[in-house]
Amino acid sequence: MDTFDFLMHGFAVASTPKNLLLALIGAFLGTIVGMLPGLGPINGVAILLPFAFALGLPPESALILLAAVYLGCEYGGRISAILINVPGDAGAIMTTLDGYPLAKQGKAGIALSLSAVSSFVGATIATIGVVLFAPLLAKWAISFGPAEYFVLMVFAITCLSGLVGDQPVKTGIAALIGLGLATVGVDAVTGIYRFTFDSVNLSDGIQFTTIVIGFFSVSEILILLEKTTTGHKVIEQGKRSLLNFKEFTFAFGAMLRSGLMGFVVGILPGAGATIASAMTYASERKIAGDTGTFGDGDLRGVASPEAANNASACGSFVPMLTLGVPGSGTTAVMMGALTLYNITPGPQLFTEQPDIVWGLIASLFICNVILLIMNIPLVGLFAKLLDVPNYILIPAIAAVSFVGVYSIHSTTFDLVFMVALGVFGYFLRKLNFPLSALILGYVLGELMESNLRRALSISQGELSILWSSPITVVLWLLAILMVFMPVIRSIYRRKFKPAI
Amino acid sequence: MTMERLFSGLMALVSIFLIYLAIGYVAPIAYDPIGPRPYPILIFSLLAFGCLVVAFRPASFTKAIELGLNKTIIRNLILCALALLVYGLIFEVLGFILATILMSFAVGLLFAGNPLKSFIFSVLISIGLYVLFDIFLDVKLPLGLLSGIIG
Repeated sequence: MDTFDFLMHGFAVASTPKNLLLALIGAFLGTIVGMLPGLGPINGVAILLPFAFALGLPPESALILLAAVYLGCEYGGRISAILINVPGDAGAIMTTLDGYPLAKQGKAGIALSLSAVSSFVGATIATIGVVLFAPLLAKWAISFGPAEYFVLMVFAITCLSGLVGDQPVKTGIAALIGLGLATVGVDAVTGIYRFTFDSVNLSDGIQFTTIVIGFFSVSEILILLEKTTTGHKVIEQGKRSLLNFKEFTFAFGAMLRSGLMGFVVGILPGAGATIASAMTYASERKIAGDTGTFGDGDLRGVASPEAANNASACGSFVPMLTLGVPGSGTTAVMMGALTLYNITPGPQLFTEQPDIVWGLIASLFICNVILLIMNIPLVGLFAKLLDVPNYILIPAIAAVSFVGVYSIHSTTFDLVFMVALGVFGYFLRKLNFPLSALILGYVLGELMESNLRRALSISQGELSILWSSPITVVLWLLAILMVFMPVIRSIYRRKFKPAI
Repeated sequence: MTMERLFSGLMALVSIFLIYLAIGYVAPIAYDPIGPRPYPILIFSLLAFGCLVVAFRPASFTKAIELGLNKTIIRNLILCALALLVYGLIFEVLGFILATILMSFAVGLLFAGNPLKSFIFSVLISIGLYVLFDIFLDVKLPLGLLSGIIG
């Protein structure tokens, strides 16, 4: 079968009534989660993950649900960015710059519909990119041995510290905490209990759901408590709620360029929607030059970050599906979901689990259509939800989070441990240790150790196997480059960009 | 001493303690060349090193972090964390419905809800979620104290 047949097979999987319904529910919930300030895709996927598992959904359906939530969040973030000048999630930060001024000029409806169309264009470009590139990458990666995998994961983690956060050392620490947490539990090879403190509850390792919900839901509640800002002024949508053809063609070039760039950024491990939207916004502003009104309500200033953040969300599926290395914090959580089903993501997924891979890819197309249709007429309804006060919303989120963790093992231990992790996560976040690096470290931890040990078993303890093949050498060089990336960037800035 | 240095220093101490624990992880039979010990030692050594760097690096390498905390916020944060902790502890004993009413009420008040409205919504949230999960989605939740009365 070639790619086209596989894709058609994927559409057959994704368009069963059950999976369509899940995509619809996921898209709806995702838009809401993305829209609510403070809650982003990673929180939404983390909170829903245990239910997908507890409801006994098959893996492909669970992934379709979670992917729909992920894409929905990228659509939803723009609503609050435009209407109340508060980005609903990190990927929508740039959207506030021109979205809110447009809303103040009475063009909120146009900004909302244009950004929905841009999101659609960006995500569609990126999904086509996934179809074209993912199988090639998977074919190439199938020759990877354990040594190559180990070095690939080292590269993914260094990539993160080169690109995320203002201080690489803190990103590194966060990733190491994740790697460390992954060593808890019984060692699969020798049966030795590590860091379990004789607790039965830890002998199996720390539950993935406990980690993600603790770090991303409990800590988020504490962060939200700090900002008890209430009473946002929601701007009316204005007279015309749909964009016209002229506005569409005006911004179309920006959408295409930003979609492509977002896709490329999304593929890189760690660099996600936030970086993609910031980069494309800056480059579109440069392209527009004096003709643009960026910052005062330029339509392209709304189109480019929205196309880019959706494109990068779709792009981040490429490394997850082909290499088993997630491209973003959210895909890291989704990869954790696969491991709950005892499925190890990697190049063999393409041959062994075509239902999952192609069902997921096809569902990205379907979710996008659903989201576009849902987001244009229903935007008023979504905006109403911004009025729900925090004293109702937060307790409900807390209760749903607890139910999620409880549904996996039904123990009080997990709940208490989750709160403890949440408090720890709160401190990490306050001190700017990026939690997305932590979760990537946790997801990769077990694979990293087992690949290292397998490689060393093959070589009978000879360390040189880790840098003996050309692929490993290239990956090591790239990893070293990434470690020095922040230094290179600061030198570049000093040399080529005179102080403004 | 800043919060950042203090926190990193503490993490470094914990990492060193974990390295000490990891030294004891020796497999009775060597199934593979490196065994269960070196990998955790490597990870926690790197972690300890990174944390020490953050704890003791010169001030010119640090960026001031605006924590934005005052006494009221800190008090609320502690109360909220306690409310969630207690919620975890009473979740099974009191059962989902009662525990969730108590937690939602407490957390609702912390999020500036007025007592009457918070209470009404606590009851609604709790019963609503119970019906949604236990009855519609078949995610079984504990009834606790109410187990003799309902179901």
